[in-house]
Amino acid sequence: MLRRIAVRLASLVGVLLLLTVIVFLIQQTLPSDPVKSFYGRNTSPEVLAEKREEIGLDDPIVEQYTRFMERLVQGDLGTSLRTRQPVRSDIGSFLPATIELAAAAAVVAVVFGGLIGILGSRPGRGSSAMRSSSIALAAVPTFLAGILGILVFYRWLGWLPAGQRSSEVSASAPTGFLMIDTILGGDPRGLGDAALHLIMPAIALGIGPAVAIGRTLRASLRETYSEEYIRTARAKGVAESTVIRRHALRNAVNPALAMAGLQLGLVLAGAVVVEVVFSWPGIGLYLSQGIASSDFPAVIGVVFVLGIMYVLVNAAVDTVQLLIDPRLRT
Amino acid sequence: MSATSSSDARASTRAATDMPPVASVEDLHVSFRVDDGTVHALRGVDLQIAQGEIVALVGESGSGKSVLGSCLLGMPPRSSETTVSGRVEVAGVDMVDDDDRAHRRVRQELLGAVFQDPLSSLNPTMRIGRQLTERGADIERATTALRDAGVPEPERRMKQWPHELSGGLRQRVMIAMALATDGGAEAAGPDAEKNDGPLLIVADEPTTALDVSVQAQIVAMFDRLRREHDCSILLVTHDLGVAAAVADRIAVLYAGRICEIGPTSAVLSNPLHPYTVGLLRSRLSIDGSARPVPIGGSPPDPLHPLRGCGFAPRCASAEADCVEVLPDPMTEQGRTIACFHPSTVPVDLRTNAVASTGMPTPLPKDGERTPRSDPPGRPGQIGHLARPVSALRLEAVSKGFDVGRGSGRNRLHAVSDVTFDVPAGGATVLVGESGCGKTTLLRMATGILTPDSGSVHWPSGGHPPQLVFQDAGASLTPWLTVRRQVVERLTASGVPRAERNDRAMDLLTKVGLDLRAARCRPKELSGGQRQRAAIARALANDPTLLICDEPVSALDASLAVRVLDLLEELRETLGLAILLVTHDLAVARRIGDEVAVMYLGRIVERAPTDEVFDNPQHPYTRGLLDASPTAEPGRLAPTLIGEPPTPFDIGRGCSFLSRCSFSTEQCETERPELIPVTAPQVACHVRPFAAVEV
Repeated sequence: MLRRIAVRLASLVGVLLLLTVIVFLIQQTLPSDPVKSFYGRNTSPEVLAEKREEIGLDDPIVEQYTRFMERLVQGDLGTSLRTRQPVRSDIGSFLPATIELAAAAAVVAVVFGGLIGILGSRPGRGSSAMRSSSIALAAVPTFLAGILGILVFYRWLGWLPAGQRSSEVSASAPTGFLMIDTILGGDPRGLGDAALHLIMPAIALGIGPAVAIGRTLRASLRETYSEEYIRTARAKGVAESTVIRRHALRNAVNPALAMAGLQLGLVLAGAVVVEVVFSWPGIGLYLSQGIASSDFPAVIGVVFVLGIMYVLVNAAVDTVQLLIDPRLRT
Repeated sequence: MSATSSSDARASTRAATDMPPVASVEDLHVSFRVDDGTVHALRGVDLQIAQGEIVALVGESGSGKSVLGSCLLGMPPRSSETTVSGRVEVAGVDMVDDDDRAHRRVRQELLGAVFQDPLSSLNPTMRIGRQLTERGADIERATTALRDAGVPEPERRMKQWPHELSGGLRQRVMIAMALATDGGAEAAGPDAEKNDGPLLIVADEPTTALDVSVQAQIVAMFDRLRREHDCSILLVTHDLGVAAAVADRIAVLYAGRICEIGPTSAVLSNPLHPYTVGLLRSRLSIDGSARPVPIGGSPPDPLHPLRGCGFAPRCASAEADCVEVLPDPMTEQGRTIACFHPSTVPVDLRTNAVASTGMPTPLPKDGERTPRSDPPGRPGQIGHLARPVSALRLEAVSKGFDVGRGSGRNRLHAVSDVTFDVPAGGATVLVGESGCGKTTLLRMATGILTPDSGSVHWPSGGHPPQLVFQDAGASLTPWLTVRRQVVERLTASGVPRAERNDRAMDLLTKVGLDLRAARCRPKELSGGQRQRAAIARALANDPTLLICDEPVSALDASLAVRVLDLLEELRETLGLAILLVTHDLAVARRIGDEVAVMYLGRIVERAPTDEVFDNPQHPYTRGLLDASPTAEPGRLAPTLIGEPPTPFDIGRGCSFLSRCSFSTEQCETERPELIPVTAPQVACHVRPFAAVEV
């Protein structure tokens, strides 16, 4: 079992290496000229060529990649062309907001996914109504859901704020996670405020994955209910709710978990959109601004960090699957 | 072959003690919704089970026997519309009308359940111990239950996962789970002071998925458990042999009604209901003198209500009243039958013969053919004859597989050094338990797998052998009509377009399917018809050899007999050679010229069929024969202990060493080869039965 996890972690290194190659190649093939955008359009071609030579953009590609890797290992992602700050410190200040949002969205996805899956798998009781309404929900694009949410809950009902992480504009410290910082600082009002700000973006981001997870879980549970060991459990006089919880869920959850891991990619991609819609100060917003201004190092940095998050979470999902099903361990 | 129990004596003592029945079923009707309509699964069943009694519930598939078992557990089939009427009472609790909580309590404290497939009836993600203690039994009690059920090293098993155990062990764990009822003080029941284990165990086909040798051990264990725990057992089975071995009474279910109940020996030796007679006569037996006679026709459609007796259309003694009026069960001298014209002539189980007033050959129906009345000559000497041409020859073939990864990597020796041939037009049966390598051998014979060493020969110019699988439902394409599937095969083997349809109909007629069946999709056909369609498809490219992998083990006895008859007939009319693989010795007796017994990747005995059955030489063959159920009441003789080991590290010695009670020093160090060259060939140093040669 531990060996399996060790093997999994080792293969993770390989995946991350591949990620660096991909990020590097994207950098090489992008049409925009980073030198030109850094030094401005009016710089003379001679100066540009000189600068290009200076940064080593004319060197052989393998050499460039080696240099890229050297810097990466030192945690150097370059300097943002837009903010003129190291990308690493930029990401460091924007990432907690994104992680907070993604985590909240993941909670929405798992809780609603679980509900859709479990309730939908039971016969009768409006399971088809729930199925169609959940499909309708999932069909709404993230940006539209965000805008509609703002329209309804902010503009008309006035229940929820329209954007930002909190009502006061202040940097979050010490962790950068507003929910945690307000708890640490003994600020219940701040916590409530942060939670209110989080609700709408988290739901907009999490509802699509929730439906995907829910439908996978539902199909998997239905199949599991017809298994012989479920009949065995019932024959032992186990109560139906316990049958579901103890016997069916654990055997049915693995496909849903795999789906959850895959959906995280969509959450991270969706975060860019949601952060723009809700003016959420995370790396998604940073990325979209970076793209608009051809801020090449910033884009590369964000893509790399998101890639690492995606790979890590899926490795975690694989490990959890091993814990859940002993048959996978051998 | 000693009878360890006398079921007659037991049954009479039970009757004498005037205790209330542990479970009673009165006028039980159960119906449930399926896509095509409402299935009438039970149509008025009455049954009482006394304390400490084993009642066997026998019947063909679809007779409703599993539904009756489920109802006793208070778990009728789930559907969008299930109707249950009548009474089911277990230990004084109404299992139909009382609320779910009461049913659960009875199940938790008083009932045990054992299901057919031990591979799927244990929760794969829960340790054995946790599953055993789920009903409230403590660890000590659970461990005792495991020991009771014959599980070695019970303490260690408690911490294991189901997939770490063999099939036989898993079924023992299931039985232990049935024994490990709630040990709490509040357990109710007629004799609460006793409270050791369940009052009633419902065992639904508990041995069907097991190997023959393991089956015999489990059946014998049921008898022991019943005596030690004084619990009752409802044994649901399709196999009269299993029922005969342990049951006090046999109840025969047909089309949702019990047509006959009585003491085991009485029912077996003097069946009164024509259906019981039919079941007994259609049984495939290892006893060569009894030639099985299938019941013609098929059971009534469960979607339609019954007007008269459900068996009347298939019954030779049926008269006008049988078709019009449903016969009510009548009890006389401890035997209950529901028939207006019961059979009066005892069946001789040895020969399956009934006097002239008995059953004439039933009418053919629905594409199922009746067998020819005369058995084909069994050329038992074929092993001695100079073999003209072989339809298949395997020369010293071996095949192994690497299993596992890294340091856990291991070599599985599936087939080791096997040599044998199937003569042209001959029929060879390969017998063996699960994991003996028979499937790997078949795959090499058809060319799907390449042997690691050795060679496979087909006759030059001939077509490669064709395969027929156990589950025809799964091997036929579900969305194509049967005729279309045969046509596709013909197309593939280059038959001109104009001839294909005619040729296809020709083939389908040969296997006994008519035009109506030819136009059906597999789902619309019965199990027997599907297997015929699979055979027809296999015949399409004109093979010289048909390889059948467990072709009848998913079929009811009557259908199995008819499919075997068909194979025999094809062999005669087409000159087809047959290689048939089975775990069931009774099937081997029915069809083969020659039997090869396989154990742990090797052939341990090979001889003409009658020779193998009448005078088995290898201890393993002898053990298998002893373990095969017969319709002899109270015969419990498992002489084969344990289960076949997994073929990983095969030592230098005899492969059967670990289960053999005759082994000597030589057996440990030297692997026996097949000797002599003439039949029978036996791979055994000791040959303990050589002296009893006839």
